[in-house]
Amino acid sequence: MASNISGLGPQKNGLSRRRFLSAAAAGVTAGSVADMTAIHGLRSEALASELKKQNKRVILLWLAGGASQFETWDPKPGAKTGGPFRAIPTNVTGIHISELLPELAKRMQHTAIIRSLNTKIADHGTGAALMECGRVGDPGVKYPDIGAVVARELGRLESKVPDYVSLYTSTEGRRKGTSGFLGARYSPMFLSESMTPPNIVRPDIISEIDHHDRAALRDVLAKRFTTARRNQAVDSHMSAYQRVHGLMASADLFDIEREPESVRNRYGSSQFAQQCLIARRLVEADVPFVKVARAWWDSHGQNFETHQELCADLDHSMSVLLDDLSERGLLEHTLVITLGEFGRTPGINASLGRDHFASAWSCSLSGAGIRGGVAYGKTDDEGQRVVEGEASAGDLFATILAALGIDHQHEYMLGSRPIPLADFGTNPIRDVLA
Amino acid sequence: MMPSDESAAEPQVAAPPAMPQSVKVEKTFGLPAIGFCVTQGEAATTLFAGMSDFAVHRIDLAAEKIEAVPIGQERHSSYVTGLVRAGDNLVSGGYDGALIWWNMASGEVIRRVESAHSKWVRMLAVSPDASRIASVADDMTTRLWDASSGDLVATWGDYETKTPHDFPSMLYAVTISPDGRWLATGDKTGIVLVRDLATGEIAARLETPIMYTWDPKARRHSIGGIRSLAFSSDSTLLAVGGMGKVGNIDHLEGSSRVEVFRWQEKVRLYEIEDNKLKGLVEALRFGPGDAWLAAAGGDNSGFVTIYRMDDGKLAAQEKVGSHVHDFAFGQSPDTIYTVGHNQATILKLA
Repeated sequence: MASNISGLGPQKNGLSRRRFLSAAAAGVTAGSVADMTAIHGLRSEALASELKKQNKRVILLWLAGGASQFETWDPKPGAKTGGPFRAIPTNVTGIHISELLPELAKRMQHTAIIRSLNTKIADHGTGAALMECGRVGDPGVKYPDIGAVVARELGRLESKVPDYVSLYTSTEGRRKGTSGFLGARYSPMFLSESMTPPNIVRPDIISEIDHHDRAALRDVLAKRFTTARRNQAVDSHMSAYQRVHGLMASADLFDIEREPESVRNRYGSSQFAQQCLIARRLVEADVPFVKVARAWWDSHGQNFETHQELCADLDHSMSVLLDDLSERGLLEHTLVITLGEFGRTPGINASLGRDHFASAWSCSLSGAGIRGGVAYGKTDDEGQRVVEGEASAGDLFATILAALGIDHQHEYMLGSRPIPLADFGTNPIRDVLA
Repeated sequence: MMPSDESAAEPQVAAPPAMPQSVKVEKTFGLPAIGFCVTQGEAATTLFAGMSDFAVHRIDLAAEKIEAVPIGQERHSSYVTGLVRAGDNLVSGGYDGALIWWNMASGEVIRRVESAHSKWVRMLAVSPDASRIASVADDMTTRLWDASSGDLVATWGDYETKTPHDFPSMLYAVTISPDGRWLATGDKTGIVLVRDLATGEIAARLETPIMYTWDPKARRHSIGGIRSLAFSSDSTLLAVGGMGKVGNIDHLEGSSRVEVFRWQEKVRLYEIEDNKLKGLVEALRFGPGDAWLAAAGGDNSGFVTIYRMDDGKLAAQEKVGSHVHDFAFGQSPDTIYTVGHNQATILKLA
């Protein structure tokens, strides 16, 4: 799409309904932001509308705890730091990945690997926040994470499905996600206890007919009320009702039993794989952002055993997901990301583990907007440091936005303070973009 | 691996203690890489160790400065995790799935079986008469090899390739009984199979489920498994080593755990857990007369522990600087040689 480089396009005098509702909903819960009517970015509605029509979607496979780049995307066989695994060729000449990802190696045409992340923060909490938000936290601002930004930029107000769904059913390192100053309207629907949302299924004691009748009665009463008393709070309240009603109707999206047995068998029985299937169902139904967290990669002890288990899960689940999306014609519209809070140390500790390491690590981007079959950046022979194409968390954030056709320099106005979607001074990695 | 051959003539061999009252580190020296397996050479002063630099090393304990030096010119293409002595030869196995026969004296490669297994070789064992080599690997097969010709004699499956939670399983441990009749193997999920070495028939199936360490909620993976096995000298007892319940499987923070079975009766004689020196029990050996059992392993740090076999209680224990992956008795079991994380240790029992 055409970009608004400066983000300083003409601001409309009047607030659109969409702007107004977004801000109003956000303002209800984002107490730290004084004037939430001002967060709307400055660009033409036509561009925003065009962006949404492109139906871009994101599935973030969050490798919680920090996967090892050596055992995934940047193997160093034979190096003292390399560990025991071999590198295997992929179906793209010249690109080798760990032998623990044999199925993904056959699908490298879809994927760009970034091997040169230097994100500096090797602490779980702040590292995760950095990678989720693409910038270091600021005491005065609650930044939205990538899910909330995508939900806001690609979600449709009239949509009956959630804009941002986050599945994190393990307990270790669990993070809900944050919509920051964008407000609760863009907070994730967070599934932590089961793979289906709690409390959105119609109770058995209310029949389907009663359910519809109640909604119709509420509509009649609400319309009568709003005709006489139209204001922001009332509109926000109306919007919330409509949205909840839509979410109740979307409960089936989380029910993988509705998939043919052959599809369920293809994904298999691991929880991560089944959540990937849910993610596919959600993006197919136009949910803009789905995060599936697979915990827990924090392999301070027995790194190689841990990665044998977890890489097998990732390799299978992500391969099936890419195939499924591709066969349904969804992959060209869906960006699949593998990312965690950091990578793991080149040094192997006495427990045969690898510790936290953020100086030279990897992630992958597949599908929408991505030039597949690319390995971007380079680390030295032992994986100790980046020697080519160093990329920050902000650069990755900008790259993800660019792949989705979103101008990373577009600015939200938080009061009078402009805040670009990706941090100041960051740039998309053009080499991995289609 | 089996205890080393005690036939080599050495002039001064201390008598092993009937029941050690103490175990003390006598000397520690550095290794150039992570030592995963160790066996004694023909001379009492020579050790061989398989390491993470893909090589088999000779260690001359009589040298003024003890060093580990790769034997020969060839190497595995991954970590060397199994090593046994068979007569004048050494046989090594590695994460590359290969087995290599070495001339122990010259370091020349006699035979190389590249695809002995389709996945990691985890451990080797040698029969008491040195005629057979057994290997276990993550392809979940146990393979029996003619130690002289290198011919594959038998392949046994019988393990699930996936864990109950549908992740790849691993076959970590193997040992052969001192009478040469029985072969025992142990996997990630805590299943021990004892089979007749001649026929391959399974004589016993034992379970040590606690050693699986599956975390169903917080981290959704496992870290444990059966890492070591040892038969008593009369072949009636089978000791199984691993780790107990662990709260945080990011680290090896579980209690070190040993279970001892009268395996033919399927009776669990002892369940031994040590919360003081934690981690995986990587190697086990019975002492003379089966009066005691030596266990070694660790978390970041290592340990050597002696358990009495009359009551399963701890008799002696010593902390070792870093995680111990394997140990061998000296020509008399008053001496223990450990290898581990860039470090080897000589310990004395008294």
